[in-house]
Amino acid sequence: MSVAPRETPAAEGSFFAAVRGSLAAIIVLAVLGAASSVVPFIAIVELARVLLPAIDGAPVDAGRVWSIVIIAVVALVVSFGAAFLSGVVGHFADAELQHSLRRRIVRHLQRLPLGWFDQRSSGSARKLVENDVVALHQLVAHSIQDGLTAITVPVISLVYLFVVEWRMALAALVPLVLIFLLYPLMMRGAGEKYVQYDEATQALSGATVEFVQGIAVVKRFGQVGRSHRRYRDATRDYSRFVGEWTRETAVVFTIVELIASPIVVLTWLLTAAVWLTASGGASALDVLPGLLLGLGLTAPLMKLGASGQFLRNATKAQQSLTAFFALPPISQPDSPQTPEGRSVSFQEASFSYDGEHRVLHEIAASCAPGTVTALVGASGSGKSTLAKLVPRFYDVDAGAVQIGGADVRQIASGELYRQVGFVFQDVQLLRASLRDNIRLTRPDATDAEVEAAARAAQIHDRILRFERGYDAVVGEDANLSGGEAQRVTIARALLADAPVLVLDEATAFADPDSEAAIQRALSTLAADRTVLVIAHRLHTIVGADQILVLDGGRIVERGTHAQLVASGGRFARMWADYQANHARSLPEGVQL
Amino acid sequence: MIRRLLHYCSPRARRLVIAELSFVVVAALLQGIAFLLLVPLLRSLFVGDVDGSWGWLIAVVAAAVGYVIASWFASQIGMEASTAVLDSLLERLGDSVVSLPVSWYTTDRTGLIAGLATQGAMFVSTMPYAILRQILAGFVAPGTVLVGMYFFDWRLALAMTVMVPIIVIGYRWLSRSIGRGDKAHAVAVDEASNRVVEFARAQPALRTAGEGSIADRLVAEALEDQHNQYRGLLITGGSAIALFAGLVQLSVTVLLVVGAFLAIGGTVDIATLIALLVLGVRFNEPIVTAGDLGGGVAVAKTTIDRLDELAAVPRLPEPEHPATPADFGIEFQGVTFGYGGDPVLRDLSFTAPAGGMTAIVGPSGSGKTTITKLIARFYDPEAGTVLIGGVPVPELGTDVIERAVAPVFQDVYLFDDTVLNNVWIGGPDLSREEVIAAATRARVDEIVARLPGGWDARVGEGGSNLSGGERQRVSIARALLKDAPIVLLDEATSALDIGNEIAIGDAIDSIRTGRTLVVVAHRLQTIMTADRIIMLDGDGGIRESGSHTELLAAGGAYAHYWRERVDAAGWQLTHHD
Repeated sequence: MSVAPRETPAAEGSFFAAVRGSLAAIIVLAVLGAASSVVPFIAIVELARVLLPAIDGAPVDAGRVWSIVIIAVVALVVSFGAAFLSGVVGHFADAELQHSLRRRIVRHLQRLPLGWFDQRSSGSARKLVENDVVALHQLVAHSIQDGLTAITVPVISLVYLFVVEWRMALAALVPLVLIFLLYPLMMRGAGEKYVQYDEATQALSGATVEFVQGIAVVKRFGQVGRSHRRYRDATRDYSRFVGEWTRETAVVFTIVELIASPIVVLTWLLTAAVWLTASGGASALDVLPGLLLGLGLTAPLMKLGASGQFLRNATKAQQSLTAFFALPPISQPDSPQTPEGRSVSFQEASFSYDGEHRVLHEIAASCAPGTVTALVGASGSGKSTLAKLVPRFYDVDAGAVQIGGADVRQIASGELYRQVGFVFQDVQLLRASLRDNIRLTRPDATDAEVEAAARAAQIHDRILRFERGYDAVVGEDANLSGGEAQRVTIARALLADAPVLVLDEATAFADPDSEAAIQRALSTLAADRTVLVIAHRLHTIVGADQILVLDGGRIVERGTHAQLVASGGRFARMWADYQANHARSLPEGVQL
Repeated sequence: MIRRLLHYCSPRARRLVIAELSFVVVAALLQGIAFLLLVPLLRSLFVGDVDGSWGWLIAVVAAAVGYVIASWFASQIGMEASTAVLDSLLERLGDSVVSLPVSWYTTDRTGLIAGLATQGAMFVSTMPYAILRQILAGFVAPGTVLVGMYFFDWRLALAMTVMVPIIVIGYRWLSRSIGRGDKAHAVAVDEASNRVVEFARAQPALRTAGEGSIADRLVAEALEDQHNQYRGLLITGGSAIALFAGLVQLSVTVLLVVGAFLAIGGTVDIATLIALLVLGVRFNEPIVTAGDLGGGVAVAKTTIDRLDELAAVPRLPEPEHPATPADFGIEFQGVTFGYGGDPVLRDLSFTAPAGGMTAIVGPSGSGKTTITKLIARFYDPEAGTVLIGGVPVPELGTDVIERAVAPVFQDVYLFDDTVLNNVWIGGPDLSREEVIAAATRARVDEIVARLPGGWDARVGEGGSNLSGGERQRVSIARALLKDAPIVLLDEATSALDIGNEIAIGDAIDSIRTGRTLVVVAHRLQTIMTADRIIMLDGDGGIRESGSHTELLAAGGAYAHYWRERVDAAGWQLTHHD
């Protein structure tokens, strides 16, 4: 059996494809901005060269003064404009990247096996689109420009300085060298510390969540003091960790910062300048460039260093996104088959969640068209997993699941879900109008069809009680109880009218106040379909055509209710137990 | 901003922050002075006065040494201050969590508080050191230089001074426009994230709908909107930053042009002019940096805004001298209450007799749970009075009510601790044996039997190792242990298997004796055996009340409800012919 995974389109292959076009512009503008930012300083040196003779009374060359001023002003404008534009292009490229990644996440979510969603909280999707995508911001919007500036400005300045006065150039290099030497010392053990910091933050977050969620409990049991103490202990640990960490790095960090500070650099350069001129080795004009440009070498480096943490986060986020995109999508058939008829059969179907521990072993069973098959067993017996193989929440490891003679993996996804409907305990309503929620799977359904489905699902009257009726939006002006929401999903399934239905019977008692209404709706839905029902309350499936009793991932008994009770096996014992308990849960004198 | 931050600091943190900022100001002043000394120093260099140069150099070195010392203290104190501020913020947050009324927690506040405790507090605590320091230095040092310039050449100084108000106004405008754009953007981000989460959660249903369904459109629209808002933010924020930096650059241009005019006119000392130009060109950088940091201040401000909002949440009034209730009967007198919107309860009056069990039934949304929350004083009614033992609840005060009432609500929260410790919360003074005895009466022993580790097995985060029914049994055990005269019970509506249902029934039986019970009832057994049944009508009032036999005999709404419930208990999915 060949099941080829669908290829990811090439356009999505590279992570940063969306910004590649902007990259050249960011780089050229950043370099231009950084390079021209040096020009005004050189202009001042030139201005000094023109003006200094005037000290001794010589005439000033006004034309030359103005040309220098104009060059300086133009360079200021260009430098500022180019740097700004580079930032703008970078930020807009980042915006495009974020948008394309979010859309790609959504597209990938659409293709993942449904089981992925079963095992994860909604928090994972939120983290992807919110935190991870945003964390990449620094990478595209800032780092390229910051990095280029940190290289271009010192390189151009130093080249110029070596040309005019090499000794001042050497002096200007000293702070840079010192920073490079001290930087590894400053970052020693930082990787490990960041891991510890993440852990400490996690611990604090956990303590806070527990504190807030438990506050109603502790307040009512007069235990505020104790729980408050737990929170305070956690926060003290956290601030102690942060405090120790900053203290450990404070000394080296402050030294580096002081070495890079303009004032220390200035003092150092002035000392060199005065010494050079006093010893007669250089004129005032020769040392001026060193003073002006030497002051500007450290700032871009410090800015780059400060963004280290953001870069670390960006790298982590990129890894997490890459891992998400690498999750294999659900396989699609090369040459889709069309099911003939509406029977369901399991052929030696085996399944494990983790590839190691099988939870279903060679299940063989068939459900004739139009019959009800009930799956019974203790929790952990595999009955829910088995039912979920039919709508492809999971795919079997071995064997096959067939609908109308076609392997579910060989049926095109659209066709499969036209054949198989399902109603589980978790309600899946969208924040959209009730009408759109009901006709989600059949957007072309008429208002009359929507209404008919809602009536059959016992929810029509409730919907009309909302001021806007079918146009009321779920979660905004339509607040539904658990049972009402269930009936909306049942109406949806009725309208979809799939011939095969997978059903969790617990749906029926989601809401005791509307239990009877949900039951009527479910009975209507189940009529004339091939039904596979996960059963919890044994009396509800007395009339099933076939009961499969599962234990440890195997079918241990099968037959009708009467046959199984008569055979005196496991089901017969379960039934006896159940009956005794069920009777106890009912008021005395109530006859079923 | 600094004052608002200090408001949330402990005295020690406040002292440290003030000391830190004082050193920052001193360092910035010295930095300005050192740069000003550059003027006479360069002057001596240009005119070839070597002795003078050495003299001024010594002055610069002195200022620089002062700067290093002040900066050193600012850094070291600053790091201490950050830790102290962090600790104070977390402490204040904890105090808020404790003092906020329970009603405030009815919507999920976990994300808000956890966000404040982690990112929020950390960001604010590093703000004095990472942001305020640079902003102060960015304005104080150039300010010092500007004032000093008047001693050298008043015309150039004046040309620079003219730019100051323009730059300050530009800075204000910058911070404000970034803050404004941020808010609109945050709304769009929230909307888009919620849509993606919804999209992920509803995937099974959406697969059935196929591609191009309404959900695809909703999520695409929300992402598109977020994208547009972000681009809008970039445009407003970008132009604000551009304008600000442009203003600073303009001041340099003005200085250059005025300087050139003066030089050509021959009315300025050339050496001084060159030195001043050096200062002017180099000195706009810290101001531009300060402008970049304006956004950071806005972020810190939102955290402090949130803390202010927490402090402003109204607390329930407490009596000066709490009264003592005569007994533990409960009475509602003309109570009207809603959650901010339409009233859920309208002019509702009833009594729940002391020592008896009162069952409340009615359609969903009719206010059953609200009644129990008013008795527990999560809220005070908008009109009318809730009385316990003949005393209005506000005159009893929260302490008395907390002692008298044991709630067993549906949203049972268990701490990530052992089963035993979760029960123990109900009576911390009791011995382990007594706790186990009480828990056994609520049939928690059966749960414990299946858990590895028995009584000392952990329940997992929020009790995730236990089923809903089992969590409720632990919660009943807690209430048993507390031994309060009033028990409020909200029966689980979630799917209970038969075993749990019977266990909970037994647990309720054991808690009934000698206590006033008010039960939001779903189990037929509970409803039927109640001393008094109150059936709500769904419009904020009572439809019928009385005992089970009386109400059945009356043949009204309750009798109909009862028949339907009994039928439902015998439902079969299909009837075999």
